[in-house]
Amino acid sequence: MQDNPPLRPPEDPSDREPLNGVGAAIEAILRQPRRVHHALRQAGGGQVIGAMILVAVVCALIYGVVVGTFSRGAQLWIAPLKIAGGLLIASVICLPSLYIFACLSGSRAKLSEMAGLLCGMLFLMTLLLIGLAPVAWLFSESTKSLCWMGALHLLFWMIATIFGLRFLGAGFAASQAKSQAGLRVWAMIFVLVCLQLTTALRPIIGTSPTVFPGAMEKKFFLMHWFDCLEGRGEQWREQPTAKDY
Amino acid sequence: MNIPKPALLSCSLAQLLRGEVAALMTWTSDWRRSQVTRDMLLVLVGAGAFGAALGCWRDPLQAVFSAIKLPVIMLLTATGNALLNAMLAPLLGLQIKFRQSFLAILASFALAAAILGAFSPLAAFVIWSAPPLIEGANNSSTHAAILLLLVVVIAFAGITANVRLFQLLQSLAGRQDSAVRVLFAWLISNLFFGSQLSWVLRPFVGSPGLPVEFLRTEAFDGNFFEAVFHSAVRLFN
Repeated sequence: MQDNPPLRPPEDPSDREPLNGVGAAIEAILRQPRRVHHALRQAGGGQVIGAMILVAVVCALIYGVVVGTFSRGAQLWIAPLKIAGGLLIASVICLPSLYIFACLSGSRAKLSEMAGLLCGMLFLMTLLLIGLAPVAWLFSESTKSLCWMGALHLLFWMIATIFGLRFLGAGFAASQAKSQAGLRVWAMIFVLVCLQLTTALRPIIGTSPTVFPGAMEKKFFLMHWFDCLEGRGEQWREQPTAKDY
Repeated sequence: MNIPKPALLSCSLAQLLRGEVAALMTWTSDWRRSQVTRDMLLVLVGAGAFGAALGCWRDPLQAVFSAIKLPVIMLLTATGNALLNAMLAPLLGLQIKFRQSFLAILASFALAAAILGAFSPLAAFVIWSAPPLIEGANNSSTHAAILLLLVVVIAFAGITANVRLFQLLQSLAGRQDSAVRVLFAWLISNLFFGSQLSWVLRPFVGSPGLPVEFLRTEAFDGNFFEAVFHSAVRLFN
């Protein structure tokens, strides 16, 4: 019935050890990603997924506070919610297509395992963002340019995403996917969705009179970036009275 | 074709997506109500979700209409062309019965619908991010771009489903040339019938300035390919 053999456990015994606690999960995703892949296929995979989502949300909220320090005020709670919410929304939007691409590539992973890999990717991304947070905070405190801060956060997000996608790619290969082409297409879709969400949920770094002006004025993210660079996005910038801007 | 019954039960959509020939053979081997119901449900849910995503740009009511019409097109195409496709197969060198040809096409449509369903959150997000469809607004290029994007998604789903269908036909025929001939014949007949059906049952996205309705009063005017061509011309001008 099955053309492919069942998934084999990792050869290294240390990669087969269960993940006990958040500390072990953090250690594993940084040093032994195969251990996380293996844990996701085991009976307690749901708990691992839940723990990774929880930590990812907490880390995203913390990084969001750092993002919010640029404008302070209400952005200290708006930015964390938008960043954590945006990452979750992007994941929900892209999970079904990830599963389809995985199956088309010959992967034997179930939907729950693909969801786990995606959560692992978010987990790793947000951990890396926490690692980059002190640098981001320093620039937030010392820089007045909204565009510069936007570019910096984008750069940090790209670095985190590259490592996250590398984790996902390794999980993809471990699930006996015959090709990575589908994953590459999906990675582009995920990146585009995330970038569009930064515009849809704007402002994240700057301020505006309303929380979600993006819901009223729909824009493509490149158009929004050009508007910001040309100074047409000034309504989203911090008011001069708030921080001598 | 002797396929054990337990294997039939374990046959899953994931196996079909992976292109496991044994699963494809099982899926289309026998006329079982549960199999046909599953295929139809996949079409109704998957294509329905994608249809709703298309329609929500214009109006929530349009989303409901499109969610009904898109699965209807797929099911009507499968049934409307069933006789022709069953006749074409033996004529082009593939000795299969009416039942098998119908189930094979229905399975490929179910696969395409599953892929469309998986892309429906993405389509809904793209449409949500686009400017609203308002009469007099200068967003015809956005409208055209989204239409083309949706056509790309539908084409991807269709091509993928047909690649899997080809693998099934190849294993049934035992020869590649017969499988290629039958696949192309089925593709042409289904595309020809399905695209015009989609034109007759328009709108799916809807146009600014035109009312939200289940069917246009001039439903039988023009054709699908003409509309796609005009969208492409509008985008690149």
